[in-house]
Amino acid sequence: MHSSPAMERLAASLKRLPGIGEKSAARLAYFLLSAPDSLLTELADAVGRLKSDTVICGRCFNLSDRSPCRVCADPRRDAGLICVVEEPADLAAVEKSGCFRGLYHVLGGTLSPIDGMGPESLRIDELAKRIAAGGVGEVILATNPNAEGDATAHFIADRLAKSGVRLSRIACGMPLGGDLEYADHVTVGRSLENRREIS
Amino acid sequence: MSRLVSEALLLRAVDFGESDRIVHLLTPETGRLTAIAKGARRSVKRFPGTLDLFNHLRVSVSRRRGGRAMAFLERAVLISPFLELRAVPTRYALASYLLELMDRMAPEGGAGPDTQRLFSFALSSLSALEGMAPDLRIRLLFELRALDALGLRPELRHCVRCGAEPGVRAGFYVADGGVVCSSCTVRLEGVLPVHLGTLRVLQQALDYDVDRLERLVPGAQAVVEARNLLFRFQRFHVGLELRSERFLDESLGEPVA
Ligand SMILES: [Zn+2]
Ligand SMILES: [Zn+2]
Repeated sequence: MHSSPAMERLAASLKRLPGIGEKSAARLAYFLLSAPDSLLTELADAVGRLKSDTVICGRCFNLSDRSPCRVCADPRRDAGLICVVEEPADLAAVEKSGCFRGLYHVLGGTLSPIDGMGPESLRIDELAKRIAAGGVGEVILATNPNAEGDATAHFIADRLAKSGVRLSRIACGMPLGGDLEYADHVTVGRSLENRREIS
Repeated sequence: MSRLVSEALLLRAVDFGESDRIVHLLTPETGRLTAIAKGARRSVKRFPGTLDLFNHLRVSVSRRRGGRAMAFLERAVLISPFLELRAVPTRYALASYLLELMDRMAPEGGAGPDTQRLFSFALSSLSALEGMAPDLRIRLLFELRALDALGLRPELRHCVRCGAEPGVRAGFYVADGGVVCSSCTVRLEGVLPVHLGTLRVLQQALDYDVDRLERLVPGAQAVVEARNLLFRFQRFHVGLELRSERFLDESLGEPVA
């Protein structure tokens, strides 16, 4: 393949991104070489500003352009309700649902001992401090319903048991548009356990 | 292509690329097996809620014959998720530790009665742990059994040097993986002192059924000795520090002598 030192340098950088192999890196480098200058400038600018213009909210650890973030600073949100999520992307998903009017707490992952992730790698102490400061009535544990997410929710529930705050776990069961026939028996079982009255 | 349809235990799952997952499985036929589940994070129909830690599965895996390329996980059906392991942090910590031990140490592509035995141990230990509140004692008993299932069984009955009964001044010689009698002890350096009571309770732990291990109640001194002995035995013969060990140690606390 014909190449230049600049192209090779770009391809080598791209290759370090997750999910990008040698071929994809070369393909992207060729694409960028033939792309209009405006796209390159835009991309370079966006990459250059990424870190300096991104701030982690000092209260909920959401990604934002300011601290406290827009959610934490919004006086119309219910400060007595905290929804605990694993990552900023999960926060965005809950926000998108439009069903939640409280505040958030982003843990920064889950308890995953096999990956060396213990409680000290997560923002659990910070959550306990927020609750100890008072004014919180309920904590919703919205970690994912898999082994790590469930274990993390139980760990936090143990930690906060004496705080007097109400603890709840997001419901889990059949997905919308799902098919009972294809669901595993645990999901079907949980859907029945978490059933609700229909009116 | 060859196809393996088997029971399996999911030891570890790592996201790969945009939609795939790489899974480490323990199967009774092959020991440890690494496979790629294509589209696992998108296809709820092919892998509905199945590729999760501790899950006991029925899997269908295909491999290119003789090839070194990774096997493909074609289908996985959930048999049991051992949900109770997630509900108590000490259980989760110990079960994760046992899984990591097997993930690092289980033979790959191995066959025969040993992989069958290892698989049975893995299932019965997870199932037993579901009903327990693990403490340091439970951890040591299960760790010993896991090492045994992995082919690392310490010799506790006879001197590893001369075959004699250990006697009162016996010790444990980590490098040889077993007890040494009082006369062999004097010729060796770095022998760990160990009481006969400790050796006896560890031997019982090797003989008991896994679901009855909880009934063994060694005294405080035996727990401390066993902790020291197993820690060094594990480090020497496994040869690496497990990532999950720190969380386990923190969850269980240190021994009180
Ligand atoms: Zn915030
Ligand atoms: Zn001897």
